[in-house]
Amino acid sequence: MSTLTTPAATDTAVDAPVFSVENLWKVFGPKADRVPADPELTALAPAELRSRTGCTAAVRDVSFDVRKGEVFVVMGLSGSGKSTLVRCLTRLIEPTSGRIAIDGEDVLGMDKARLRELRRHRASMVFQHFGLLPHRSVLDNVAYGLEVQGMGKAERRARAKEIVAKVGLEGMEQRRPGQLSGGQQQRVGLARALAVDPQVLLFDEPFSALDPLIRRDMQEEVVRLHREEGRTMVFITHDLNEALKLGDRIALMRDGQVVQLGTPEEIVGSPADDYVREFVREVPREQVMTVRTAMRPPESADEAGRGPAVAPDVTVSEAIEAVARTGTAARVVDDGRCLGVVDSDALLGVVAGTNTGTNGAAPKPASAVPAQATGSKAKADTKADAGEEVV
Amino acid sequence: MATVTAPTVRTGLPGLLKHRALAKLVLIALAAAVLIPVVNARWASGSWPDALTVDLSEPLGRASDWIIDNRDSHPLFLYFFGHISNAVVLSVRAVYLVLLAAGWAGVTAAAALVAWRTAGLKLALGTGLAFLTCGLLGMWVPTMQTLALMVVAVLASVVLGALLGLAAGLSDRTYRALRPVLDTMQVLPAFAYLLPVVLVFGIGVPAAVLATVVYAAPPMARLTALGLRGADQGVLEAVESLGTTARQRLMTARLPLARKELLLGLNQTIMMALSMAVIASVIGAGGLGDRVYQALASVDVGAALAAGIPIVLLAVVLDRVTAAAGDRLGGDGPETSGRLRALQWGGAAVLAVAAAIAARLAGRLDWPEAWVVNIAEPVNRAVDWMTAHLYSGVPYIGGTADWAGHFTTWVLDPLRSGLQGLPWWSVLLIVATLAWLIGTWQTALTAVLAMAGIGVLGVWQSSLDTLSQVLAAVAVTLVLGLATGIAAARSDRVERLLRPVLDVFQTMPQFVYLIPVVALFGVGRAPAVAAAVVYALPAVVRITTQGLRQVDPAALESARSLGASSGQQLRQVQLPLARPALLLAVNQGVVLVLAVVIIGGLVGGGALGYDVVFGLAQGDLATGLVAGVAIVCLGLVLDRVTQPTERRRTTKGA
Repeated sequence: MSTLTTPAATDTAVDAPVFSVENLWKVFGPKADRVPADPELTALAPAELRSRTGCTAAVRDVSFDVRKGEVFVVMGLSGSGKSTLVRCLTRLIEPTSGRIAIDGEDVLGMDKARLRELRRHRASMVFQHFGLLPHRSVLDNVAYGLEVQGMGKAERRARAKEIVAKVGLEGMEQRRPGQLSGGQQQRVGLARALAVDPQVLLFDEPFSALDPLIRRDMQEEVVRLHREEGRTMVFITHDLNEALKLGDRIALMRDGQVVQLGTPEEIVGSPADDYVREFVREVPREQVMTVRTAMRPPESADEAGRGPAVAPDVTVSEAIEAVARTGTAARVVDDGRCLGVVDSDALLGVVAGTNTGTNGAAPKPASAVPAQATGSKAKADTKADAGEEVV
Repeated sequence: MATVTAPTVRTGLPGLLKHRALAKLVLIALAAAVLIPVVNARWASGSWPDALTVDLSEPLGRASDWIIDNRDSHPLFLYFFGHISNAVVLSVRAVYLVLLAAGWAGVTAAAALVAWRTAGLKLALGTGLAFLTCGLLGMWVPTMQTLALMVVAVLASVVLGALLGLAAGLSDRTYRALRPVLDTMQVLPAFAYLLPVVLVFGIGVPAAVLATVVYAAPPMARLTALGLRGADQGVLEAVESLGTTARQRLMTARLPLARKELLLGLNQTIMMALSMAVIASVIGAGGLGDRVYQALASVDVGAALAAGIPIVLLAVVLDRVTAAAGDRLGGDGPETSGRLRALQWGGAAVLAVAAAIAARLAGRLDWPEAWVVNIAEPVNRAVDWMTAHLYSGVPYIGGTADWAGHFTTWVLDPLRSGLQGLPWWSVLLIVATLAWLIGTWQTALTAVLAMAGIGVLGVWQSSLDTLSQVLAAVAVTLVLGLATGIAAARSDRVERLLRPVLDVFQTMPQFVYLIPVVALFGVGRAPAVAAAVVYALPAVVRITTQGLRQVDPAALESARSLGASSGQQLRQVQLPLARPALLLAVNQGVVLVLAVVIIGGLVGGGALGYDVVFGLAQGDLATGLVAGVAIVCLGLVLDRVTQPTERRRTTKGA
């Protein structure tokens, strides 16, 4: 079950974070600098701040770490500051104050050349509206990042060709972006970002402009890429389902602040406040919550030895299937050790939303504090493998 | 993320506007009530008081004398203007010699092949035919003279315009400084540019080229800046996110993204340059324009037409080829490989050279005399017949000369005497009121100052004469133009029929319009007005049609769903919603009419245009310069009085 596909992801705990953001502020408006520095102003609500100073705080005192190999999702409604936040990471928008480090190197202190180097090699971005050059062919668009680095024509085209094939656009190399559908254009955008082989991929609501079906395809494409390459990703979205589907960890933003940061399970299972609770109300909990949270200690040795075995990070809906099929409670087994038991009452409780987990190790409602990760897992794997594992 | 903040003012506008308009009116009435008695007591009413006039003719005459005396000795002329002048003469001469050396066959082949490569086979054929027609009409040499002047002027305009546009596109401060200047330059009649260059360079080719450059560069600058500023921000951000340097961004993204605007700028610059190169015959440009000018001076319509047709052909060919090139580049067609393109261009060049050599070997370098078709005589016979039969005395409908006469006595004369009879302060008051009601207080101030400037210069009477012609022409233009525009907007068939006509009419240089009106109406003020109407009509029709057609279909549909009749739809939905476009149509109509009314001075329009021509012809630069400045002032007044407020103006660039 826990066969992690990439070596990068295995040593998550040891590695320093790829991106480390501390107390980041971005204030738009006249004399924006004074706002983060003044405790009186920082305490103000957004509307009040605006009327007092004419400034808008798009990002307010945000801190988080992005770990190597994980998909870090920043999610929030429009106007919550998430797009500004991701642009601050490579200083496409200059932050007002705070600290950003990539691999321990201070981003805000970089000079122009160093910053260019960061954008060229270490972090590249996929945009909501693609941002393709309309006068260039698909191939030259994909090769653009390499051209900017000064790579020769033949070499960069060969490399671009590989990437174009990787994102499933073979045979379209000579077309112009205007001749492609939205989904195909975004594949070009993705290929352009991948071509420079960056350490981190930044996605700014990449699929919001696409049709639902295409969007699902593209989400699966991202999952596949992540599984194959294990690249660190920062993914901005306003779509909760997308966030839950892709994210290893999710930072939920509102009015420029992170209101909760945690795994999908933590966000759905124990919302930090009413806003988050309202947000996740409609989520089918059984598809997000795992049996680890739903299980209770076995009442008897007999119970610990009987029933179908499931892995701890199997979702509740999969456990329901197993329990329904056998008619007995299921055992949660990790490395051959029985951690606990889930019976139909516990599983129903999760579905009904009355049970947020009887397990002592219930997730703590984390706010800006980086929460415990359940390990970087490629979700598609989990689901694919789970079927074999159960029974 | 970036929520576009739409101007929220629009919602409550009608009510607000009424109040604001009312407030403005009250304010103006108050100011008038206080000022008029004072002004009246101080200076008499009636025409502009002499006490407020400054006679500039003497200092201007001295300045012009000084320049003429020092042109060959003063270091400013020797080391600056002299070099410019020499460079211009040399380059025009060089281009002209190359064109002559290529011979008619070489030039025609080269032009057709260039058209083929940039715009396709059909236009290549048209281009070839156009050049052959120039030869057939016996106008090969003047055509080449005009072309040589054009090549140099267009190159200089494009370089100058692109540099200015680049500066304005990349720097906000330059843009803010440059924009009002460019906007103003675009509304000034071509005649206003002639005098200053003549003052410095004297009559001749350098003056003509420089006037052309100054006249033709603004659209290039404007569109370059617009293109650079209008680039898709998303693309630029994406390009920046890949770690490009500023130079890389400019070369690989901003300039390519602005290609459409750049080519449109080139197209407009070429059209303006042709227009000016023809008009500049008045200051020694030579070529086709000179032939028309000389022929018009002796009312020889046939000769004027023989030179006019090549001008029109040149205009249409240049316009279509550059426009088609723009469409091609802007399109999404698959990329042709660089080698294939180079091969095709190379083949074209070889063919052109072969044609030139073949003609040379055949001993037919110059257009053969025997191939010239003289159209002047038959045309003149036709004109004579028209004069005899159509000018007057046609039963029931009268004749063209009768119409012109009636128009002059019943419309132009009363209008002129009415305007000239108005107390001078009331003219200022009317200008202020109109400009303020339609625009802002800044536009009103500019307009009033410009109008007062006319008075101070001492050309009040003749300016009002010009103004009366402009007003009459604008009224006719608007009635015809709006009616046609509405018809074209409501019927696809009418629009399809009109489109090619409008296309051709919009590309023709102003000067050419004088030829048919002289044939029809003789000389005088009425033909000048007629030429102005014909010149301004296409733009007015086009803007009106576009404005009406671009009305939000949802609004129209909802009106239809409520059962509005088509008349109600037009009156209650389309016209109100197309208001910005209609105001723009008025503004453009006024600007275009003024340009031609001024040129009408060449065919007996009198007033300011005549003063300029007279000043040039008599070497009385002072008179001409004063008239030129008055034209600038009048242009400013008319533009500002009809200029919608800044908010709506933004649609103009689109």
